[in-house]
Amino acid sequence: MPTARIRRIALASGWLLVCLISLLPILGIVVGLWPPEQVRFADLAPFLAYQGLSVSVSMTLFSAIFSTLISLYIAFMVYSQYHLSRRLQSFEKYLAPLLSLPHLAIALGIVFLFSDGSLFFVDSGLPRKGLSTLIIAIVIKEVPFFLLIFSAIGRQLPIKYWLLQGNALGYQDYRCWWFLVFPALLKQSRLALLAATAYTLSVVDISLLVGPNIPELFAVSVYRWQTSFAVGDQAQAFWGNVLLLVLLAVSVLILYAHEKLAQAGCKTLATQGSRFHIGIINPAFKAWLPMLAVLTAMIVMVFTLWSFGVNWHGDRFSLAQLTTRLWQDEWLFFALPLQNSLFIGLLAGLLGVALALLALELQRQKGTYWPDYYWLLAIILPQLSMVLGWQVMHIWTQGGYHSGWIILSHLPFTFAYAYLVLKGPFQSVEPRYELLAASFGYSSWQSWWQVRFRLLLPAIFTAFAIAFSVSIAQYIPTLMLGAGRVTTITTEAVAIGSGSQQDLIALYVLLQSVLPFMAFFLAALLARRFRGSMDGNNMGGHDVRHC
Amino acid sequence: MIFRLSKALTNSFAICYVFFFVATAKVHAELKSETIVEANSAQWQQTLKASAGQSVYFYAWGGSKAVNEYLRWATREIAQQYQIKLIHVKVTDPSEPVSRLKAENGRTSAIDLMWVNGENFAYLKQQGFLLGNLWSAIPNAAFLAVDSLPITVDFGEPMDGFEVPWGIGQFNLIAENGVFQPPQVSAKSLLDIAKKKPRTVTYPRPPEFHGTTFLKQLLVNLTDADPRLYKSSTKQAQDELLPVLWQYLDQLHPYLWQQGKAFPSSAAEQLLLYQQKTLSMAVSFNPNQWQKEKSTQQISESSVRRYFADGAITNSHNLAIPKSAPSPDASKVVINFMLSEKAQQEKFSGVWGDPSVITSLLDEKATMPAHSELHSSWHVLIEDAWQQRYGG
Repeated sequence: MPTARIRRIALASGWLLVCLISLLPILGIVVGLWPPEQVRFADLAPFLAYQGLSVSVSMTLFSAIFSTLISLYIAFMVYSQYHLSRRLQSFEKYLAPLLSLPHLAIALGIVFLFSDGSLFFVDSGLPRKGLSTLIIAIVIKEVPFFLLIFSAIGRQLPIKYWLLQGNALGYQDYRCWWFLVFPALLKQSRLALLAATAYTLSVVDISLLVGPNIPELFAVSVYRWQTSFAVGDQAQAFWGNVLLLVLLAVSVLILYAHEKLAQAGCKTLATQGSRFHIGIINPAFKAWLPMLAVLTAMIVMVFTLWSFGVNWHGDRFSLAQLTTRLWQDEWLFFALPLQNSLFIGLLAGLLGVALALLALELQRQKGTYWPDYYWLLAIILPQLSMVLGWQVMHIWTQGGYHSGWIILSHLPFTFAYAYLVLKGPFQSVEPRYELLAASFGYSSWQSWWQVRFRLLLPAIFTAFAIAFSVSIAQYIPTLMLGAGRVTTITTEAVAIGSGSQQDLIALYVLLQSVLPFMAFFLAALLARRFRGSMDGNNMGGHDVRHC
Repeated sequence: MIFRLSKALTNSFAICYVFFFVATAKVHAELKSETIVEANSAQWQQTLKASAGQSVYFYAWGGSKAVNEYLRWATREIAQQYQIKLIHVKVTDPSEPVSRLKAENGRTSAIDLMWVNGENFAYLKQQGFLLGNLWSAIPNAAFLAVDSLPITVDFGEPMDGFEVPWGIGQFNLIAENGVFQPPQVSAKSLLDIAKKKPRTVTYPRPPEFHGTTFLKQLLVNLTDADPRLYKSSTKQAQDELLPVLWQYLDQLHPYLWQQGKAFPSSAAEQLLLYQQKTLSMAVSFNPNQWQKEKSTQQISESSVRRYFADGAITNSHNLAIPKSAPSPDASKVVINFMLSEKAQQEKFSGVWGDPSVITSLLDEKATMPAHSELHSSWHVLIEDAWQQRYGG
């Protein structure tokens, strides 16, 4: 049968495509980390003897796990407060501004606003550089990320039924949330937890700016060795990367263990009917989003005023300093990078989402899902070594330098983020709808497109917004594969950020946030217009108008 | 010899040279015997003709608005005069082009021209990645002030025509006038200031280049410029000289910003803290940065420049062309332009303020009394011992 054959070919090429993209990270890390001939086990001794290594490694691991888990719990408490209120349900759009600010901007804003010598001259006890500052900056940025993920997952879960059932059994709302909803959300957000932990483990820019440096965080040391060509440093970098991989594996194990423990804990507490009082403080988390909104507004305001030439610490501080000179000066130079970013982000984002859907669909047809960490390798593996491998391979191909290569290099990242957003919702699409469609005589393709895809649309919008902003934020791949031929707003912003010109840094931070902001905002607005299979307030009469 | 110069840079893109007293004499002799191509020679005219219409991808640090604006100016000039398109590839770290050249390993490069210094230069030269004979191939190299400036050796590595000096770096402090009373700083006066205004003094965390140079200046001051610092270090010299520095730092650190429990990651970060009035001093390798920052209201009007009483550690920052560059001719024309009187003048008097390297524009007011670099072996010793004592 020719149709069967076409189907087989389509399937095979689908697998091929998905495998190619997901294999890129492995290829990259193998080529990038390929031991230079001088690396010997003898080099391990000076590496292990590096002063402060053990403290540095433990601080790094602690900050990664702690900030991720704290963000998870805060986000869950916030989510439980907002989920069922009709008015507040579309809270995603309020997250857009914060989600679109780069991590570095948030860190910069926080220390400027609150640390010693800060704008308000109140000693909040927040050190300008320290583990606590780093963790706070990361938590502030990760909570909205988790909220977005929960919201995408929550649309496909019968949370309202669970709460009704729980109430019927005599549990208060907050206990239902913890005992019934939390385990399900935790399982489905495992990928997001992995991504957040991997990010914190290997992040360099904010660690340099607000992280402790006696000793330095481990990723900073690795980065320093890797970018140094002094005798011995490349060998240090090799072993540093190996240890970084070990740390990543360890944190994956810790996260899995945490999930099992938390689930067992919820189960035990639920069956014992224990007095579990943590939920009582839940309402306090209603204040989280307004607080974030105020903080974001303050950060954006500070950057805006900086970019207009206001200098609080200048000799003469007055609003008369406001000037649009810098914006006018730079306009000529940021228009093109902004355009490039938009083009690359759109393509890499769309392709990433499409490939993630393809990967999920192929696995669904096969009936088995591959381990999560495999699909997330691009996020989990140390980026600098991986991209170095891509650079070497790109040079072998002698394929020139253009946006195509940059889109390809962003694809593993956009794919991984789209996958982590979509996996939960994809797996929990209510199967009755597709059964119904089949009974109406829809072909499997029609049913997929008209039912499954439509039901997933809100999650797809979220996935695209995240993938798009991930592409916008890529610095290392853009520079290393584009070789400066293609400048994006991020390559400009990161270069400017390595200097000390406050007004210019602020201007580029704002510019860098504009595109992701629009993506998140539009995604939030659009997501409201389509509903998932279990949208909060529409539990009663399912309408099948999509079918 | 071990080269371990930090890749960290700031507004003046610091480069280091070592023991130029010893090495320059030899290099001068070689240089004088070399014939430099003349601007009106047929060979140079050929280069000019071949390069018209080409593009030059220039890998240079992109964190300074002043440097970026200078390069925008140069781009316009070069396009007009030579029909060459200069493209500034803004990098955050000068190791980026080095790691690219390593990855390319001799294949046609994406880089035409690069801003390079110390450790990175030494590595590239040893690996054979750089185009040689630049001094003799570029007409304006004849006007380099080799007799009065230490610009033939880059941190102990003779340039040998593999890179061409572009500008001068001199280590100095930018400080609040009221706080830093004596015009010249000594280790002792710095300690007094730190005690008088605790937590407003600090330095970038070594091995950041400025931080290491700060330690070198202290070591020179504390040992009255012991001659052994300019020779390859011996065990005995280390045991006698370094403890003086550590004793001093043990006294100083409790009074530093964050009590020495954290340091700025870079000179740029320290300048930001200075701008925000958290610190009373910042460090710089550009002797004129303080004036330029004042004229653009980045720092307060009362800021002054201070340097160590023994003189400012001085070095040059340089331009190099990869051997595998796709348009080497056009890159040479760009370097030739960068060494022209017009470009050097604009570099000094324009937004950047970087001192000139050519004889006709030498200006004593542009620079400070110079002090020679320590022998490069001390560099790595200081960094490693600092990490061992204070870094963990």
